[in-house]
Amino acid sequence: MSIWEEHPLARAFWNNGSAGIPIYDMHGHMGTLNTIYFARAEAAAMVAHLKRIGVKHLTFSHHYALFEPSFRNSRVHEICREFPDILRMYVAINPHYPDHIREDLAQFDAWAPFAVGLKLLPDYHATPACDPKYEYALAFAEERRLPVLCHTWGHSQNNGFPQLMKIVVKYPHITFFIAHCLFGDWEGAARLVHESPGNVYLELTAVPGERDVLENLTAAVGSERLIFGTDLPWFDEYQAVGGVLSAKITENDMRNIFYANVERILGKEW
Amino acid sequence: MRELFFYDAMCAAGMPLHGGNVAATPEALLAEMDYYGIDRALVRHVNLDAAGAVLSNRVLADFLRSDSSGRLRGVWCILPEQCDELPGPDEFFRDMKQNRIGAITLSPFAHRWIPCRETIGKIMDAAAERHIPVLLDAFTGKWNELYNFVRMFPRNITFAMDRSKHGPDRLLRPLLENFENFHYVISCHWVPEGIRDLAERYGAHRLLYGSDYPFFSHGSMMLPLKQSALPEADIARIAGGNLNQLLEEAQL
Ligand SMILES: [Zn+2]
Repeated sequence: MSIWEEHPLARAFWNNGSAGIPIYDMHGHMGTLNTIYFARAEAAAMVAHLKRIGVKHLTFSHHYALFEPSFRNSRVHEICREFPDILRMYVAINPHYPDHIREDLAQFDAWAPFAVGLKLLPDYHATPACDPKYEYALAFAEERRLPVLCHTWGHSQNNGFPQLMKIVVKYPHITFFIAHCLFGDWEGAARLVHESPGNVYLELTAVPGERDVLENLTAAVGSERLIFGTDLPWFDEYQAVGGVLSAKITENDMRNIFYANVERILGKEW
Repeated sequence: MRELFFYDAMCAAGMPLHGGNVAATPEALLAEMDYYGIDRALVRHVNLDAAGAVLSNRVLADFLRSDSSGRLRGVWCILPEQCDELPGPDEFFRDMKQNRIGAITLSPFAHRWIPCRETIGKIMDAAAERHIPVLLDAFTGKWNELYNFVRMFPRNITFAMDRSKHGPDRLLRPLLENFENFHYVISCHWVPEGIRDLAERYGAHRLLYGSDYPFFSHGSMMLPLKQSALPEADIARIAGGNLNQLLEEAQL
């Protein structure tokens, strides 16, 4: 018998399209960015896709807030209000606009419950994650014990192991979501978890479907340190969920990844 | 589950040059396929680039000879005609049939030749006559070269894939639109609901399930196909019906 018949979670997704469990997708984007073709990058189409598979919350940073400085986070808040049950936002931090950072974070509380944390994109903003330009935002997150999703990639000069190691140690009260698990530098990803003060989670965007990686990460850091993400609208929810279900890990590991870890961090209602 | 027949169009096995977790025997590959519910597979030799066409074709034939399940078919690699390293088309295709080989591939960038009519025109024309599929795995990520190749050999049944994870629609759709014999293997089509978009626009007969094992897990693209919201008949064609039909129509 295949996993799609034998494993209860896999069987449910296979037969019904969803499994009656909450899924927290902690790494999304939004916005029809025409640097690539997107058919479904606006809120309504994304929400329809998310609902099919049972995503309870997508926490996202908007492409425009990341890539076009004139598009401010306040507009992302407006989008969240249109889909209040499902959408949550990371405040996108562009280190080259300190005034924007201060203005946006001054509104953070007013954006509750939609704003849940911050998003850093060091490679694309050509600024190392440990650069002083991020200090104001990170100190804000430290004081409020917020999650910060930071883009990472193995051996990057801006968001590789050394840059991330500096900030996860410096800000022990921030919950760091390591986007893409330092993709390719799996040893560095495990070291980040083991050598940090317990505040690091590896976020899985682009990993499920790769052979053996999820199995090895689970063995190295434990599934309690892994959280689910897709980069939607870049990647399909069914591909990412199918990739997790295809990994040779336990059902308990899968439940940790899909929802249990996030509920331990943020609670069940947020 | 069992109502859906999966035929993997893009899979490699054997002993990899640099080691690693790859099915080295038919039993190991079949166990992996069974874990995910894959019925049949079209198999290339994983070490084709380094070991060269002649040796890897022979090793793959031995691999298939040791399989008693009948669920595996092979893919042999071709070479330019001028150096007489492989027999002419008639003999080559006869050997393919005797060795359970159902399709051909080529690796011009690793094997030091130019993919064009001058080098492989005769065997490609013969393959087109006989409807023998041609796997273009060597062109993955080389879109310029892929466009040129498909333009040169529009009569051949070709299979290509992507491996970038980022949606290739701008690169892919012109090929599907202009070349009716061009088929796309969905192994890395991670675009949200993208399988449905392609099938609705170009027809489900142009798409093939493939795992791209050992690069990706067999399971990676099974669930998005099953949940693509396409009609069940289209899902069945993409999962395995199309490839099964194409291989049956090949005149070896
Ligand atoms: Zn991202």
